[in-house]
Amino acid sequence: MTKVNVKVFGPLRDILPTGEVNLTLKSPCTGESVLLQLIHEYPAVEAWKGSLRLAVNQEYTDLSHIINENDEVSFIPPVSGG
Amino acid sequence: MIAITPYAIDLVTIISGISRPEAGGIDVFVGTVRNTSKGRRVRELEYSAYVPMAEKLLKEIEHEIRNKWRVCEVALVHRVGTLTVGEIAVVTAISSPHRKEAFEACRYAIDRIKSVVPIWKKEILEEGREDSERAASKSRQKP
Repeated sequence: MTKVNVKVFGPLRDILPTGEVNLTLKSPCTGESVLLQLIHEYPAVEAWKGSLRLAVNQEYTDLSHIINENDEVSFIPPVSGG
Repeated sequence: MIAITPYAIDLVTIISGISRPEAGGIDVFVGTVRNTSKGRRVRELEYSAYVPMAEKLLKEIEHEIRNKWRVCEVALVHRVGTLTVGEIAVVTAISSPHRKEAFEACRYAIDRIKSVVPIWKKEILEEGREDSERAASKSRQKP
């Protein structure tokens, strides 16, 4: 099993006000399996599914990225700075 | 000069921070809080960020600029927290030997910030309603 700490920001904090959640997944797990587990536990995240970008260790990557324990995982909603 | 800051942005500090004897000019873009959004009156904008990743990406944007143009110094500063109408949310500023590079790099900097840096704004409207990308997302989900 892989324990993953997922951080969320911006509008996703309306769904997860603490800004983070710990998930436990079967190994090996990918960004996509982490996202599906997050949606399973927080169904409201589903509405964002198509627009989230995965960041692992503060770098954008794609959903097929293999997630290891202690990776810093975040799903990034469309940015709106400026 | 790269920063995500909760404090008011001081233009004079930024401009003096990037002035160099080799520079022939400084181009500055200042993004401010506008009083309307999609026809509605805006009272405040609440900016939040994934701070360490945002600062990392600002550094990458500076690196991209230095690879593309001959510039002296780069300042990319974005504010977080609650900002009222007219306040400065973001500054991109470039000093370079010649103005062409400064203008082009400054435009590139703000465009890149708006497309990749993990910063979000939530609109607080005059009538007290909140709005964010969430509402737009919800409405898209309706069959």
